[in-house]
Amino acid sequence: MQLNHAQRELTVKIVYYGPGLSGKTTNLQMIHQRTQPDVRGRLLTVETHDDRTLFFDLLPVFFSTANGFKVKVKLFTVPGQVIHNATRRIVLQGADAVAFIADSRRNAAAENNSYWKNLMENMRENALDTAQVPVVIQFNKRDLPDTKTDAEIEETRKKGKEPVIGAIAIRGVGVLETLHAVLQSAYRTLDARAGLSKNIGLTEKEFLSQVFVNVDTTGTELEKQFPPKKPTGAA
Amino acid sequence: MSKTDSVLQRRVSLSEMLDSESFTDVVKGFVELYKVGIKVFDDKGAKLADVKIGNGDFCGYVFSFSEGRRRCTATVGRVKDGPVECTGGARTPQFDAGTPGTPQTKAMVTVPCFTGLRYVILPILWDGDTMGRVVFGPFMPEDLKEFPPSTLTDITQGLDVANARNLVLKVRRAPEGTVARVMLHFWQLLNTMLFSGQKMFLTSQLHIEATRDQNRELEERNKRLEDANTRLKELDRLKSAFLATVSHELRTPLTSIIGYSEMLAEGLAGALNNEQVDYVRTIMDKGETLLKLISSILDISQIEAGKVRLTFEPMDAVELVQGSVSSLLPQAHKKGVALDVKLPPDVPKGIIGDRDRLRQVIVNLLANAVKFTPKGGRVGVTLTGVGQQPDLSAPGYRIIVEDSGVGIPADQFDKIFQSFYQVDSSSTREYGGAGLGLAIVKSFVEGHGGLVRVSSEIGRGARFTVVLPVSPGIQPQVQIAPPVTELKAPVDDRF
Repeated sequence: MQLNHAQRELTVKIVYYGPGLSGKTTNLQMIHQRTQPDVRGRLLTVETHDDRTLFFDLLPVFFSTANGFKVKVKLFTVPGQVIHNATRRIVLQGADAVAFIADSRRNAAAENNSYWKNLMENMRENALDTAQVPVVIQFNKRDLPDTKTDAEIEETRKKGKEPVIGAIAIRGVGVLETLHAVLQSAYRTLDARAGLSKNIGLTEKEFLSQVFVNVDTTGTELEKQFPPKKPTGAA
Repeated sequence: MSKTDSVLQRRVSLSEMLDSESFTDVVKGFVELYKVGIKVFDDKGAKLADVKIGNGDFCGYVFSFSEGRRRCTATVGRVKDGPVECTGGARTPQFDAGTPGTPQTKAMVTVPCFTGLRYVILPILWDGDTMGRVVFGPFMPEDLKEFPPSTLTDITQGLDVANARNLVLKVRRAPEGTVARVMLHFWQLLNTMLFSGQKMFLTSQLHIEATRDQNRELEERNKRLEDANTRLKELDRLKSAFLATVSHELRTPLTSIIGYSEMLAEGLAGALNNEQVDYVRTIMDKGETLLKLISSILDISQIEAGKVRLTFEPMDAVELVQGSVSSLLPQAHKKGVALDVKLPPDVPKGIIGDRDRLRQVIVNLLANAVKFTPKGGRVGVTLTGVGQQPDLSAPGYRIIVEDSGVGIPADQFDKIFQSFYQVDSSSTREYGGAGLGLAIVKSFVEGHGGLVRVSSEIGRGARFTVVLPVSPGIQPQVQIAPPVTELKAPVDDRF
């Protein structure tokens, strides 16, 4: 988090982490598609010729609070390929919360584990306290054959404190729910640490609704909480 | 942790996102096309582009009057540094019908100049930030009712109105709505340039950061490996020193055992019966074997501890070979192995080397040959004359030891020169020995700047060729470097 009182500006950094081809970029593309252009920048992606993330993807989302504080949420992805660990470490620098995108397929378990360890290692390298930076786990690709059952995912949830969300990112299922969970966790941690509601008058409700009222929540679990304004032409 | 914050952790400035030269070219092209000047400033007021057109003469004329200069400076200040808001004389431009209501349109302002000309300012909004501004103008608004306005004529009594009218003709005349649309067009262009510029800048910076971070990681790993290597070498040295001490301590009492046995066998302490003599001679023989073994261990441990120095002096190669052979003759004879010596027709001259060490080389090779050759076999030693040695790129000579023994498998050729290595290391093996002889041979020969080669065929014997230079070099002494076990850095799967 970067809080600049002089410029009345708050920057929150969310990093989408996980193994290669687990769907990190797809998550950002879906968020980009469903968010109105006046609260987001262009989606910056740097991909190799075979659609693998080379450095990172970046989607900025921004709004002003009721009392004139400028809030920027920067959503990053890391490159999943093993060789890009240094890049992953750099992108992870200063993260306020992490969405860990796991592949639900059974044969991806080892890979998920290894990237989870890698995340913990890189957080330590970046002096990020793993107890202080919340992580949300997304089990992506729920539609593919040979995925873990809901009961098995429930088991995984019980093993740790991280919220676990099922998703089919390519169809937009679970993407906004994951974003909501990760932003909520980020807000709560930052509020506890820096007193966002007390010091800059930004409540959790305002933080989340400023983002989600500008997002097309149609067909998601957030639809009731943040009813879509109108059919958006956002693309 | 990375020492410096990544570029991703800070705001990127306009000048970092735009390539100054090509951006100026684009602005120039635009100005040429629309005949309206463009200035671009970043949020700190630094100028990124400034292309004027048409207004120079007119503005210069106005500027030549002191009040004109004062008002001009104030207007330029307002345009460049004032807020991009409808304050201080600024207002929303009059847009043509159908102009899209983008955030940029909404943020645009018009600033009038006291001369009747106008500026339109477009803030550069990027990801929720105002990164700078684009100033269009001055242009002559089509809706201007009267020129010159009183705000211009009242700057001085001496203003030549006709001249001012004449000069202002060169300034582009356009409706404000058109200028605003042109500006939106310019914004689209700028937006694209900023996006690709930002992408290029961030990725190139990140590439540098990642490479730097990788190097840092590699350096740390190398440091750890070096430390481990140093510790290992030190341990190895300690081990060799320990071996040398122990061998020495073993040898001293052993010499006494052999000495006293010899005295007993010679009857110096009174006559012994035949059986007693046999026993005592067995004690002597086994003592000698043990002594040789301990000497070998002492040699190799001294080599490994880096304590062996070769002393070079002129020597006679023929005498060297003959002397070595004579010390092995009894052993060969006892085993029933023939020992042939071939000497060159011309006695090699001017040879320099460490006689004692080279003797040990030949003795070790011959002892091996005899050991591995069965009864009735033959062992030969050949000394060649001096000639150019392609292996050494220097003049030299060879000593070849060959036998008709059991032979050595080809895949063992390298290993047999390692300390304590035995082709057959089973506990029931046929041939004894500590596996040190060839390691010592190799060290001593290489200490002379020479080399030793082996060729063999299983069951048909082996041939060891020692190639030595006539003179090992200018140094009268060479310290044999301890053999360093090659430590390869662990292969990292990631790369």
